Amino acid sequence: MIDVRNMTKKYGKLAANDNINLSVGRGELAVLLGPNGAGKSTLIKSVCGLLRFQGAITINGYENHTMEAKRLLGYVPEFPVLYPMLTVAEHLEFIAKAYRVEAWEEKGEALLRRFELDDKKMKLGKELSKGMQQKVSVCCALLPQPKAVVMDEPLVGLDPHGIRELKAVIAKLRDSGRALLVSTHMIESVEEDWDVTYIMVKGHIARVCRRTDLAAGQSLEDVYFTITEGKDQKDTL
Amino acid sequence: MNSLVFLLVRSAKNSLLELRRKPAKLALWVLVIAGIGGIFLLSLFTRQSTAGSLDLVWLKGLLFLFILIFVVIAVQKGLANGDVIFDMNDVNLLFVSPVSAGLTLMYGIVRMAKMAFLAGFFILFQSNSFSVGFGVGFEAVLLVLLGYMLAVGVLQILSLLIYSLTNGKPRRKLAVRMLAALAFIPLIVYTSVQLVGTGDLLQALENTLGSPLADWTPVAGWASAGVVSLISGDMSNGFLFLGLLILSGVLLILYIALSNPDYYEDVLVATETDFEKKRGLTEGQINTEASSTKKVKVAKTGIGGLGASTIFYKHLRESFRANHLGLWGVWSIIMVLGAALFSVFMRGEDGGTLILLQILMWIQIFMIGTGRGLKELYIHYIYLIPESSFWKIVWSNLEIVFKVLVEGVAAFAIAGLIMGEPVGMVAAATLVYTLFSFLLLGINYLSLRWTGADISAGIMIFIYTIAVIVIMLPGLIAAIVLGSMIEGIGVLIGLGVLALWELLAALGCFALSKGVLHHSDMPVMRTGK
Repeated sequence: MIDVRNMTKKYGKLAANDNINLSVGRGELAVLLGPNGAGKSTLIKSVCGLLRFQGAITINGYENHTMEAKRLLGYVPEFPVLYPMLTVAEHLEFIAKAYRVEAWEEKGEALLRRFELDDKKMKLGKELSKGMQQKVSVCCALLPQPKAVVMDEPLVGLDPHGIRELKAVIAKLRDSGRALLVSTHMIESVEEDWDVTYIMVKGHIARVCRRTDLAAGQSLEDVYFTITEGKDQKDTL
Repeated sequence: MNSLVFLLVRSAKNSLLELRRKPAKLALWVLVIAGIGGIFLLSLFTRQSTAGSLDLVWLKGLLFLFILIFVVIAVQKGLANGDVIFDMNDVNLLFVSPVSAGLTLMYGIVRMAKMAFLAGFFILFQSNSFSVGFGVGFEAVLLVLLGYMLAVGVLQILSLLIYSLTNGKPRRKLAVRMLAALAFIPLIVYTSVQLVGTGDLLQALENTLGSPLADWTPVAGWASAGVVSLISGDMSNGFLFLGLLILSGVLLILYIALSNPDYYEDVLVATETDFEKKRGLTEGQINTEASSTKKVKVAKTGIGGLGASTIFYKHLRESFRANHLGLWGVWSIIMVLGAALFSVFMRGEDGGTLILLQILMWIQIFMIGTGRGLKELYIHYIYLIPESSFWKIVWSNLEIVFKVLVEGVAAFAIAGLIMGEPVGMVAAATLVYTLFSFLLLGINYLSLRWTGADISAGIMIFIYTIAVIVIMLPGLIAAIVLGSMIEGIGVLIGLGVLALWELLAALGCFALSKGVLHHSDMPVMRTGK
């Protein structure tokens, strides 16, 4: 569903992403891991068509800038930016009408209930806390019922209830056949549900790890530290 | 003390070293310095002519009004959060270090003076306007810059003091508001008396500006009287008023340092608010409404439209919720009132509408970015909505087109009425002004498309300004040449030619920036934080 082929993104001489290849199939949860500055957000923004790049990125076979690709894609940005003068309900209405979503009211209500925002419908974007804004941002991304969902650090700023619900939503989306690409620093938050993990270091994908590749007793965290620090975390203890 | 000097010197040194790694920034500075040097040299070889120039009392009036704006801002800031004289890194590192609070305050004030100087840089480019308008040279420009810096410096300290004294005390806040208003009442009464006596607004204003009441009005009066006295060679009055300004600044600093050694808490709110604002900008939240503390009543709700048009209806909902006038905010009122005031001065003079048009076009170059359409580019939604890019941009900018059209009609109609201009002239000026805004939008998108938005905001503004001048030049030349060839209606013909050029150039810019949403990086506001 999400295919990245030989993708390079440069800022001047610096290659933030260097010849990246990545694919996420239907019903698959792909996790992007990497230290700060590894190029995860750049890759995610490029997938969503927010940055120029060399190479090819397609969503279900459509070039990512086409309207067909945009119809299939949902994006939760790293920093939730809401419109300060719109209410929570109006954010959903805006997305629903801009994406021409039919019978959006019920879908919107369900999302708001799930994230405990149903009593905040009349609150303005500027009146919400960072965590609340993140929840609205997730609702906006999911309202058009996209087939591919890209999330950049979606759990940052959420309260425990929000984290639990979003993890449940991610699992449900995956089970319903959606392709998910999620970047995170919180390895433990995806430990239960991930299918494939791309570990990025200095703009490269240093390791592609499938769940089946893990040795007995080995965790995703162990793999991560082996790649990023060149040794097992256990060795450092 | 050593650590603070080290901080100042090292920061300055690093800023200079940074230029080696940022050639575009270096080129910009070289151009600015060369420009100022050029103006200075030109002023040495150009004899100032006082023939036809305005009396210096009007320069005093302009300066008074200009500084008055900063007085209002300083009082408002003081009543809200206080002024920002420190950065967040100062709070995190310096405030907790064993450096005396008094010295830290001095450090903040030195940094603030540097910022005031940089902010006043544009004054140095006013040499030609001062020379033509008032028959004064480059030394007068330097004196105006000095007066501006001193006044802004004093006002920033005043703002800090107001916050320190009134924070959490509504009665004191009310007292400050009343005091601020009272300081200007004698001036208003005097002007009213003069107006009744002379029956002429200009004469009344001239008499007021020439009176001691204007000179002794705090800050705005002291700075304007001091500067203009020095320009006209009245050294004793010049030193008296500027000295008064410096003395008040020193006394304010002493009062804060001695009476309130624990002022850190007072500057913390302003510093944190400023930091959050800058962080919000880099994260894509460039709507000023996001950081406004103004209470907003949610009455009507809902968004119209479908597909790309939803963006326009969203803008309508946001604008009407942000203020009762909807698309037309405080700036629109200031613009129309300013145009009316200008027309009063220009009544009976030739070419008043053309000068007004020129001024408003200059302002519009920098105001066009305040429209919601261009701001939309900093948020991801417009890129992801599955609709045609062309229609997304059209609907996204419709709001500013309506805004400019109505502002133009109101400003030029009222100005035309006051100056007794024919309807054709008013219509032509409105058309040129509105189409110029359309062209500015096109140039903005073209700049983004051409640079891919992969440059700093400062360089982007520089490229945009140069592009505006280069693109307008052929139209202006054609308008002047064709207009001057025809007697009588030459001006109207010239304006018609200019309007046509603006339309064609704008369409060209939009055509060349086709696919801007696909072929540019989503811009990020870089604040240096």
